Amino acid sequence: MDKKFTIVRYFAYGLEILLLFILQSTPNLLPEVFGGKPLLLIPAALTIAYFEPEIPAMFYGIACGALLDFGYGDNIGYYTIMLGIICFVLGWIFRDYMVVSFLNATAFSAIITAGLICLYFLFFYIFAGKDEPGIYFLSHYVSRAVYTFLCGVILYFINKGLFRALLDY
Amino acid sequence: MEFFSNKKVKIVTVTIVVAVILMIFGAAGTPILSSGVNFLTKGLFQVSASAAAEGEKNYDELKEENNQLKKEAADLRTQLIDYYDLKDENARLWKYYKIKRENPSYEIMPASVINRDSSQDFYSFSIDAGTSSGVHKDDPVITENGLVGFISSVNAVTSKVTTILSPDLQAGAVDKRTKDSGVVAGSALYADENRTTLTKIDANAKIKKDDIITTSGIGGIYPENLIVGKVSEINYDKYDATKYAVVTPYENIKKVTDVVVLTDFKNKGEIKRSSDKEDN
Repeated sequence: MDKKFTIVRYFAYGLEILLLFILQSTPNLLPEVFGGKPLLLIPAALTIAYFEPEIPAMFYGIACGALLDFGYGDNIGYYTIMLGIICFVLGWIFRDYMVVSFLNATAFSAIITAGLICLYFLFFYIFAGKDEPGIYFLSHYVSRAVYTFLCGVILYFINKGLFRALLDY
Repeated sequence: MEFFSNKKVKIVTVTIVVAVILMIFGAAGTPILSSGVNFLTKGLFQVSASAAAEGEKNYDELKEENNQLKKEAADLRTQLIDYYDLKDENARLWKYYKIKRENPSYEIMPASVINRDSSQDFYSFSIDAGTSSGVHKDDPVITENGLVGFISSVNAVTSKVTTILSPDLQAGAVDKRTKDSGVVAGSALYADENRTTLTKIDANAKIKKDDIITTSGIGGIYPENLIVGKVSEINYDKYDATKYAVVTPYENIKKVTDVVVLTDFKNKGEIKRSSDKEDN
């Protein structure tokens, strides 16, 4: 069976992740909205997982998570593990039990994005004992979650287009 | 005499007389008219002379000359870019030189901000210098405008800087005017406004607005006399009987692009007591 398009598609995902990582990390490039900047690699991993089987989905989840974690100078950690697991589960669910539709994808993205960012806040802000958690959550994390989710809508259509254009029949 | 009463003859006569007068003045070294005319026509002559010279060349010569000029223009553009790069570098090096000259005990490592990740709080950032450049964990990070933060994690080629806007940074500091001491620590309330706080100030302290806050050197992590910022507000702590001052750094921490890491300085790692400083 010829896997030419699949290989090209996987390569395209890789380039997309790299580009989003650069966009997300470059100082003073993405505009800050209400104190928040988007974590573009979260929706990138999720939207790839909607279309790909569980194992490749998991690897893309791990890649995005690792870039989120150690791209900043830290070691592999929270995002690598969480996105690896979540993307594996999403790949499995959407392959065997659910149909990929805009509505489904949006609902999953909203819940997972909010959950990931809230858990991060819990582990790395509240448990770290930093001051004024309520104020900081409202002024940074809410806008970060919403901004990330909205970028996910665009990435859904980009990855859907990539998947359809580069599909081996 | 009828000849001289003719209007045309009068005009000719006057003109000749004026010409002679101008000729005499010109011969005497004050060429007023020619200077005026030349001044007005200089530009025109330059254009016309140039056009005339070009008119003497054929198409191939012009094409060749055009190509040569394009090449020269490209070379000059490259040189101009190099010039701007060198100018920027020169300005940057002057700043480092100034820091080093004012503080001979400082061992400095200039670095650039390469990453401001969206997932990090309190405007932390990464720089392009790591252990291979002699940078260590907890080294202070400064600019010519004062303290920016400290190295909170380091790998071979990059380091993460936690800024003075973060509550994770705790540095002993003093009011330069009154010698009131406290602890500089960021706060979620003020970080977005590029402000930090000087906490644990005695309730009777004389600190006031516009005082300059510098590091105290106690603790051995930060050298003495690094500028933290200027007091912009004073409030009472709601949990205890101390005051805290809101301090505005002179550097815009949220936008800083070039920094210096202090890899070594006098008394680094030496823990002092407040009384030691008073004794001195």
